Amino acid sequence: MRNPRTGWLLLSPTLIILIVFGFMPFLYVLFVGFHEWNIFAAADGMHFNGLDNFRRLVFDNDFTTSLGLTAKFAVFAIASEVVLGFVLAQMLTRKFPGKSLFRIIHTFPLMVAPIAVGAIWRLLVIPGFGPVPFFLDRWFDLTYQIGTYPDQALWTSVIMDVWHWTPFVTLTMLAGLSSIPREPVEQAKVDGASRLQVFWYVTLPFLRPVLLTTVFIRIMDAIRTVDEVWMLAGGGPGTRFTGIYIWRVVFPKTDYGYGSSISIITLYLTIVLCWLLFIAISGRRKGEVE
Amino acid sequence: MRQRVGRLLLTYGFWVLMTLLTLIPIWWMFVVSMRSRVELFSRPNLAISRLFLENYSNVLTDSAFQRYMTNSIVVSTSNAVLVMALALLATYALSRYKLTGSDNIFFWLITNRMAPPAAFLLPLFIMFTRTFRIGDWTLFDTQIGLILVYCVFNLPFAIWLLKGVVDGIPIELDDAAMIDGAGLPGVLRHVVIPLAAPGLAVTGILSWVFAWNEYLFAANLTSVEARTITTGLAEFVTVTGTNWGELAAMSMITLIPSAIIVIVAQRYIVMGLTFGAVKE
Amino acid sequence: MKKLFTIVLLLAFALLANMSLVTADMHGWWAEAAAPYAGSTIRGVSESTPPSNYVADVLAAQFTELTGINVEFETTSWDQMYSKAINDMEANTGIYDFVYIEQDIIYSYLAQDYLVNLTQFAADNPDLAYEGYDESAFTSFADYFKNADGDLFGVPMEAFVKVYLYRKDLFEDADIMAAFEEEYGYPLAPAENFDQYRDNAEFFTAYGESMDMDLWGTTVQGSTGHPASTYEFLESIGPSFGLYNWGINLEAGSAQSANGGALDGDTAVEALSFWLSMLPFAPPEATSSTWDEVASSFAAGRAAQGWVYGENAAWIATDESRSAVTGNVGVRLPVTAEGVVEAASMGDGYIGYYDGGAFGVPHSSRNKEATLLWLQFIGQESVQAEWAAAGARITHTATFDDPLIAEQDTKVDGYYTLLEEQGPLFAGAPPFPFHAQVREVIDPFIQRAILGELSPADALSQAAMAVDEELDRLGYGM
Repeated sequence: MRNPRTGWLLLSPTLIILIVFGFMPFLYVLFVGFHEWNIFAAADGMHFNGLDNFRRLVFDNDFTTSLGLTAKFAVFAIASEVVLGFVLAQMLTRKFPGKSLFRIIHTFPLMVAPIAVGAIWRLLVIPGFGPVPFFLDRWFDLTYQIGTYPDQALWTSVIMDVWHWTPFVTLTMLAGLSSIPREPVEQAKVDGASRLQVFWYVTLPFLRPVLLTTVFIRIMDAIRTVDEVWMLAGGGPGTRFTGIYIWRVVFPKTDYGYGSSISIITLYLTIVLCWLLFIAISGRRKGEVE
Repeated sequence: MRQRVGRLLLTYGFWVLMTLLTLIPIWWMFVVSMRSRVELFSRPNLAISRLFLENYSNVLTDSAFQRYMTNSIVVSTSNAVLVMALALLATYALSRYKLTGSDNIFFWLITNRMAPPAAFLLPLFIMFTRTFRIGDWTLFDTQIGLILVYCVFNLPFAIWLLKGVVDGIPIELDDAAMIDGAGLPGVLRHVVIPLAAPGLAVTGILSWVFAWNEYLFAANLTSVEARTITTGLAEFVTVTGTNWGELAAMSMITLIPSAIIVIVAQRYIVMGLTFGAVKE
Repeated sequence: MKKLFTIVLLLAFALLANMSLVTADMHGWWAEAAAPYAGSTIRGVSESTPPSNYVADVLAAQFTELTGINVEFETTSWDQMYSKAINDMEANTGIYDFVYIEQDIIYSYLAQDYLVNLTQFAADNPDLAYEGYDESAFTSFADYFKNADGDLFGVPMEAFVKVYLYRKDLFEDADIMAAFEEEYGYPLAPAENFDQYRDNAEFFTAYGESMDMDLWGTTVQGSTGHPASTYEFLESIGPSFGLYNWGINLEAGSAQSANGGALDGDTAVEALSFWLSMLPFAPPEATSSTWDEVASSFAAGRAAQGWVYGENAAWIATDESRSAVTGNVGVRLPVTAEGVVEAASMGDGYIGYYDGGAFGVPHSSRNKEATLLWLQFIGQESVQAEWAAAGARITHTATFDDPLIAEQDTKVDGYYTLLEEQGPLFAGAPPFPFHAQVREVIDPFIQRAILGELSPADALSQAAMAVDEELDRLGYGM
C-alpha cells in the first residue's frame, strides 16, 4: 500500500535542492580544504597539500582561541535563552488580561534583522553616542568600553544574543507546553507528586522534542553567527568567534584553502556536538521508528 | 483573594519589566531614526526632542529602497511557501514510508543548516554565475536564486519542526481516507494539511522571518536587481560616516511587514508548535 | 622640463577640447561612438561614498542620456565591495564591467592580471577614444594606477590625503591660549612636532575634564575590531616617524630587522609607542573607532586635534547638517619627526598616505567597449569640478583652479591647496601584491597592543615574525 518509491518521490525535491545547494558546495569546500590556495599568492592556482591545512589549524592560536570564545558565547547565550525562554513560556500559559499584548511585544526582537540588531546595539554601547556607557558612568561610575575591554565585548554579544533570540525559545517552548496533555499532569498530582517532580518526570519528557529542536537551531546559529557580532564589535579580540574568524580568513585574506579546512572542521565539530545532544536529549533508541 | 491579587501584581510587574527590557533597544533605534546627524552625537538622551522625519522621507523616497523592499517581500514569501510545501511532502515521506536510512537522512538534513556560511559563499557564487547559466541569464542576482538558496537553511529547520506534527497525525486517518478511495493528493489535502495547518503556518512564518533577516547570502549572490533590504542596511556604513539615522529609519520600516506577519500569525504560533506531542 | 612643457601643451589642448564640448558636435560624438552599444547595460560595483554616489546619481544619468548605454551601479559596504569584485574577477564571471579599485589593492590586481590596460585598449580602438579625455590631465595620483610602461589601468575617481585637523575656535581662544602658555611655557599652536602634539592632547583632555565638556585632546583611529587601526598606524603614524612600506623589505621578503625589514625596528616601536600614548587623551570611543567614527567624533566636537582623512575634511568644515564644528576647522600637514618632510621632498620616503581609488575594467567584462566610453566620460575634464565639490575629491590638476573649488578651499582652510601643493609628499600604499593578506596578519598584534596585552616592542616583533611566515607561505618570502 505504501510503496517506498512514492516516499522517495515525495522526498526528492527536498533532496535535490539540498544536494545541489548544500551538499555540492560542501564537496567543493572539502576539496579546497586539502589545497593550498590563496589567489594573491605568488604561485597561481590550487596546490594539493594533503593534510597541511588541518595540521596548521591545530597549532593556530587564533583558531583555537576563537573556538573557546565561541563555546563561551554559545554556552552562556543558549543556556540563558533556554532558561529564560522556558520561564517566560511557563508564565504565558497562565491566563491574565493583556497576555497577548505582552506576548506580541516579546516577539519583536525576532523580527529585527541581525545586521540591524548589531547596529542598534552598537549605537547603544559605543561611548560618545550610546546611552549605556553614559548612564553606567554617571550612575554607577563604571567604565564600559567594548573596544578596550574584550570581556565586555564578549558579554555584550551574549546579552545581545539573549535579547534577540529568547523570543524564539519562548515561542517554541510555549507551543511545547501547550501541547502537553492534561491527564498525566493531573494524574501525577493526584499521586502526590511535588511540583518539581511533575516538572521533572512529566513535563520535561514531553518537552524533549521541542527542547531538542530549539537547542539545535540555537547552537547551529550561534556557531555560525557573523552579521550581528560583526556589526557590534567587528570581531575584535573579545568577539573573534569562529564564524567571524572564518570570514576574515576567507575574505579579506582570500586564503580559501585554509578557510575551507577550518570550515570543514567547524562543521564536523558542530555535527558531533549535535549528534551527542540528539542522543542525549531524545534518548533515541534503536528500533523506535517502526 | 488577596493572594490572588498579589500574584497578579507580581505577574504584571514581571511582564512590564520584560517589556521594558525588550523595548529599550527598539526604542533607541526609533530615537536614532528621529535624529539628525548632528544631534546624534550630543550627550545621550533617551527622549525624543522633536519630530524629525527627514531620515524616513529620505529612505522612503529612494527608489533603490523600494526595490529592496519588493525583493525582500517576494523572496521571503516565495521561500516560505516553497519551504512549507516541500517540507510537508518530505516530512510525510519520512513519517509514513519505510525508507532505507531515513533516520540518517533526517539527521543529514539538519547538518545543512550547520555550515559556516563564509567558505560556502565561493562555491555558491561560482555555481550561481557559471553553472546555472543559460545564454546571458544566470542565477546570480535573481530572486529565484535567493529563494532556492534560502531553502538550504530553512528546509532542514522546517522538516525538523514538522516531523513531530505529522507523526502526531494518527496513521489510521490516512488509511481511512484511502479506503474511501482517496489517492495520495486527496489524503494530503483532506487529512494531513488540515491537521497540520497550525504547524505549517508556524513553519512558514519562522522560515519567512529567517529569510527576511538573512544577510550574507543576499549580499554575495545579488548585485543590483535582486538586492534585499538587509543588504540595503549595510550600505549606510561608509568611509565618510555611517548614516545611523537612515539606517535606523530603514530598520524601523522593515520591522513593519514582519510585525504584521507575526501578529496576524500569533494564534497559529501558539497553536502550531506542537513538536510531535499528540494533541487531542 | 620637456615633460612639463608637454603637459602644459596637452592641458591647453584639453581645455580647447573642453570648450568645443559645449557644441552639439561633441554631443554627436558620444552618440555616434556609442551607437553600436546603445541599449546595452554596463554594471559596476563601488563603495557607497559621496564620490561614488555622485557617479551613480548624476554622472550615470548624464552618460545614459548622451549614449543610450545604461549604467547599473551597485554601491555597497567596503568589505562587500572587495569580496564581490575579487570573486567576480577570480572566477572570471563577468558580472561587473567596471570595479572600484582602492589604491592599496591595485598591485594585487595587477599581479593577478585582472584589469584591462586602458591606454592600450583605447589605442587599439581609436573610434572609441574621446578627445576630451586625457590621461595626462590627472594629478600625480594617477601614477599609482600605471604599470612600468606608464599605461593606465584605472581612471582615478577619488583622491585625498590624511591631514591634521584642529579646532580653530579652541586654539585661538585667548583664555585657553593663556592657560596653555602658563602651564607649558610656550604658546599654544597647531602641533608641528610630536612633543607639541602630546602637550596639546594632554592639555585639551585636562581642559575638557575641568570644564565638564565632552572634549578630548586627539583622535585615535584605534578600533580593536577593524583593520582601520592597523591602517592608521602603518599608513599615517609610521611614515610620519620614518617607517615606510609597513617596514617590509620587498626585495628581502621580510619585515624583521635582522633581514632588512623594519617593522620591529626602533622607529616602528617609537611610532607605535607614541600613537598608543595618545589613547588616554582620545575620546573613549577611540578603541571602537574606524575611519568614519573618527570623523564623526571630530565633527561632534569631541576632539581638539587629530588625524582625519581628507575626504571627511570638507564636510566636517562645511556641512552644518552633520558637523558641529563648521567654520572652526583648521587644516595642516600631519606632524612628522625631524627630517621626514625633507626626506619626502627629496623623494626619499613619504609623510602619509595618498588615498583614493579608481575605476578599472576587469578582463572578464563582456562589454569593454561601452565601459571604456563610460570611463572616459567620468574621466573627462568638464565633469570634474562639480563632482569635486560634491565629493571632496580631486583627480585632475586643472580642478584645483576651478572657481567652484577655489571657493570651497577657503571654507576648508586650504585643504585643496594643501592637496595640490603638498600632495606629492604623500604616497600611495606600498607596491605589495599581498596587501590585504599581510594586513590581516598584522591586525591582531596592533589590536592587542591597543588593548595593552602586548607592549609595543613585543607586538611589533611578533607581528614581524608572523608577516615573514605569511610571506613565505604566499611565496613572496626570502
